[in-house]
Amino acid sequence: MKFLQAALTGMLLGGLHALMAAGLSLSWGVLRIINLAHFGLILLGAYLTFQIASSWHIDPIATLVVTIPALFVAGALLQWGFDRLAVTELNSLLLSFGLLVAMVQAVSNLWTADFQQMTAAVNPYATSSLSVGRLVFPTTTLIAFVLSVLIIGGGHQALQRTFIGRALRAFAMDRTIAAAFGIDHRRVSILLAGIAGGSAAVAGMLFALSTPLAPFAAFEWFGIVFAVVILGGIGNVVGTLLAGLLVGALSSLASVIHSPATEPFVVFSLIVVALLVRPQGLFARAGGS
Amino acid sequence: MRAARSAFATGLWAFPLATAGLAVLSLYRESLGLPVSYLSLLTLILVWTIQATSWNILSGFSGYFSFGQAAYVGTGAYATAVLYGRHGVSFYITLVVAAGLCALLALAIGGLAFRLRSLRGEIFALLTLAVPFILGALARTSRAIDGGQGIPLPVPSFPAQLGLFQDFLYLVGLLVAAGAVWTAFAIAHSRFGWALAAIRDAEQVAEGLGVATFRYKLLALVASAVIGGVGGSVFALYIGFVTVESVFNLNFPLFVIVMSVLGGRTHWQGPVLGAVLVVVLQNRLASSHFESWQLIVLGAILVVLVAVAPEGLTSGVRRRPWPVLGAVFGTTVILWLARAPGQPLDWILVGMLAAAAVAVWPGRRRRGLSIAPTEPAAVQPSSPRSSASAPPASAPPPSESAPLAPAAPDPAPAAPAAPAVLVECRKVARYFGGVHALEDVTLRIHEGEIVGLVGPNGSGKTTLVSLLSGSLRPTRGHILVAGHDTRTLAPHQVAHAGIARTYQIPRPFASMTVRDNVAMAVMFGRVPSRLTQARARAEQHIAFVGLGPLAGALPSALNLHQRQLLEIARALATEPKVLLLDEALAGLNPAEIDSAVEVVRRVHRAGTAIVIVEHLLRVVNQLATRVVVLDRGTVLADGEPRAVMSDPAVIQAYLGRSGARA
Repeated sequence: MKFLQAALTGMLLGGLHALMAAGLSLSWGVLRIINLAHFGLILLGAYLTFQIASSWHIDPIATLVVTIPALFVAGALLQWGFDRLAVTELNSLLLSFGLLVAMVQAVSNLWTADFQQMTAAVNPYATSSLSVGRLVFPTTTLIAFVLSVLIIGGGHQALQRTFIGRALRAFAMDRTIAAAFGIDHRRVSILLAGIAGGSAAVAGMLFALSTPLAPFAAFEWFGIVFAVVILGGIGNVVGTLLAGLLVGALSSLASVIHSPATEPFVVFSLIVVALLVRPQGLFARAGGS
Repeated sequence: MRAARSAFATGLWAFPLATAGLAVLSLYRESLGLPVSYLSLLTLILVWTIQATSWNILSGFSGYFSFGQAAYVGTGAYATAVLYGRHGVSFYITLVVAAGLCALLALAIGGLAFRLRSLRGEIFALLTLAVPFILGALARTSRAIDGGQGIPLPVPSFPAQLGLFQDFLYLVGLLVAAGAVWTAFAIAHSRFGWALAAIRDAEQVAEGLGVATFRYKLLALVASAVIGGVGGSVFALYIGFVTVESVFNLNFPLFVIVMSVLGGRTHWQGPVLGAVLVVVLQNRLASSHFESWQLIVLGAILVVLVAVAPEGLTSGVRRRPWPVLGAVFGTTVILWLARAPGQPLDWILVGMLAAAAVAVWPGRRRRGLSIAPTEPAAVQPSSPRSSASAPPASAPPPSESAPLAPAAPDPAPAAPAAPAVLVECRKVARYFGGVHALEDVTLRIHEGEIVGLVGPNGSGKTTLVSLLSGSLRPTRGHILVAGHDTRTLAPHQVAHAGIARTYQIPRPFASMTVRDNVAMAVMFGRVPSRLTQARARAEQHIAFVGLGPLAGALPSALNLHQRQLLEIARALATEPKVLLLDEALAGLNPAEIDSAVEVVRRVHRAGTAIVIVEHLLRVVNQLATRVVVLDRGTVLADGEPRAVMSDPAVIQAYLGRSGARA
């Protein structure tokens, strides 16, 4: 029972990791930008939710009305900058690393380096939970999972069905050819980066909902989120969701069976194994290169 | 790097001298009137010089960026903290332990990461990012290492003549930093450094020319880790109290990357310059109550550097050393005389910033190299006078083809009864996912042949070339080169077995001159040689293809034809038995084609078998002694050119049904 509880809780949390990874994965796969600043946007989203909910006494979920547009603009602006500078993949990693460090420090300057949490009065979700038989799930985890799955599923449908989605996929496959067929790569990439920024706002809100916040959390997300990105296949949204569930379950099980210290090992070995065996991701269709 | 040997000799006395000069600052600190706080700042500069140099040896030289610097710092610091701080082992012994542990760590990381087929720079960077987190978690939870409360380090015993603990620490830091910078210097001036530069410029090409890339990358990683680990031990002593947060810290990768990129990461001096500038800047920010802005400023510097001046300061400093020095001293002295507000350090910082501005100032551009393409026929291959720098008597010396008769038709190679088989493909197949690029290809290449490999687009020609040169492995079947199966050989060993290739789109080493591009191939050939010898030999190959006057130019100054000739010269420099030319004439005008054909003839006459992939049937007919036609991955025809070209199946594959063109 303990293991089942651990695996299920891990999977539910994995949904949130998948949401964090999806924006990163799309930006990497489609825009060829490894945007470490995405972690900074998530952090910013979390702190904005904390601040707005605490000072205006509104429901934390309602803060999305403000944070999604704000981070949409931030993400789009970043992409505009990357585009102007025409950075390569590796340079995007360096550049956004610099940005991330600056962002984390700025957050720390504004909100101090200490843990911050919404009070129970502001955040009614933190104290309730749902029991199914002997299994117990915190409400915040459930909300995070449901919202994440909805957003990733919606994003996938949008990519499959809409014109913009098709344009994006064409762009990911061959940007020169896509451009030759009249896809304006600037507008498309800025839109995509904006959407990724919006997803960062949701992910940040979900974090603020369930855990105390600290600026350095942005760095602690690295391992698990990149494991999800690489396992899911770079640029593959649905793969990201499945990988998120898998990584969540496995690392949670490892921490119950052995100790929480083994979590990073599990995550790291998963990355290495994935790179060794299936560099295109676990859930890629066969034959794709 | 113009005169590597003399520069290296200069280094041999310049380094001890510089180290001694810096040591004087501490030994005669009191007579010089140097405040201890300045000495501490110098120590901090040294600590960071060690780390930045460590990072630069792998990431700057070879281009594999690491975000894992904290792994070495932490491992070294904890080796010292646990052994010396807890168990009282001598501090000096812990330095050795730190070096050993980090070497093992590097072997583990590199042995795993560099074996990944799909490893790209970005993936390596992310993998290394994960390592310090894992080690940090290990240290935090394991009671044998830390357990969460940190480890204090007592002051080690040292000779009393040295003065204060700060003096001792400074001298230890100085020795380690000097060792680190000297290592980087020695690597930059050796074959090792050239191999790393080639990996940075074009790794696959380097491999194909005989550079054992895996070994060099691993060596660089180990050297980097050892220096970083020893530096970590020194850092532990510097901070006096080791915690997980203080050593497994993302500031390390950030700082070393900013320092190296700022200073210039392709040069051994870069990290030193960067460390001086960044540490002084941080010190001034901290003392003027901008501590909380330190990381923001550093992050911003990194962003601006990557966007604006990715090559860093060193190249600028070396281009105009006197204006830069003048700016440092001039600005500082003027501020001092003008009694500007602030301390001397502030003035020095302003001086250094001014110098940095002078260094990166665009200024005059280098004079463009306007050299007309040369006629290969005009070149006199360095015949008998090459006795001074005579290379070991080995494969095709170009002088054998000295008497040139440009227009003469190729005499049939003096074929002995049974020419030796150089390369053999047995039922070779190669698939890419579901795409069958090659299927059941059986083929032999003999000594003295020019095999024309033709076929429609997508028929598998380039795949076959990649298989023959060892950069791809067959899905099924075997390729034997000089009796060895290529499956058992690394690409650089295939090169040593006598196969060289050119690329359809030329891929020169962009940071090296034409001469050094070719010298690379000589240096890492079957018989390894030193740079000076290799350059002399390279000159001959360059003259052979007719690029003589361009030997000192950078590849970016060459036109397509010249780049393709460079590709050929570089391939020849490996002294191959079989030369694979992958569309070496694509995109050339008719005059250029004629001169390239002439070069190919001469290569052949010098005794090298050639496989030439070509669309121009005119060229194939002119050159080939045998033609192999590929169609949809299989061999359609193989034989004497005229017979093959009149084969109806070939005509149909090539020209469609009604094929009737010459």
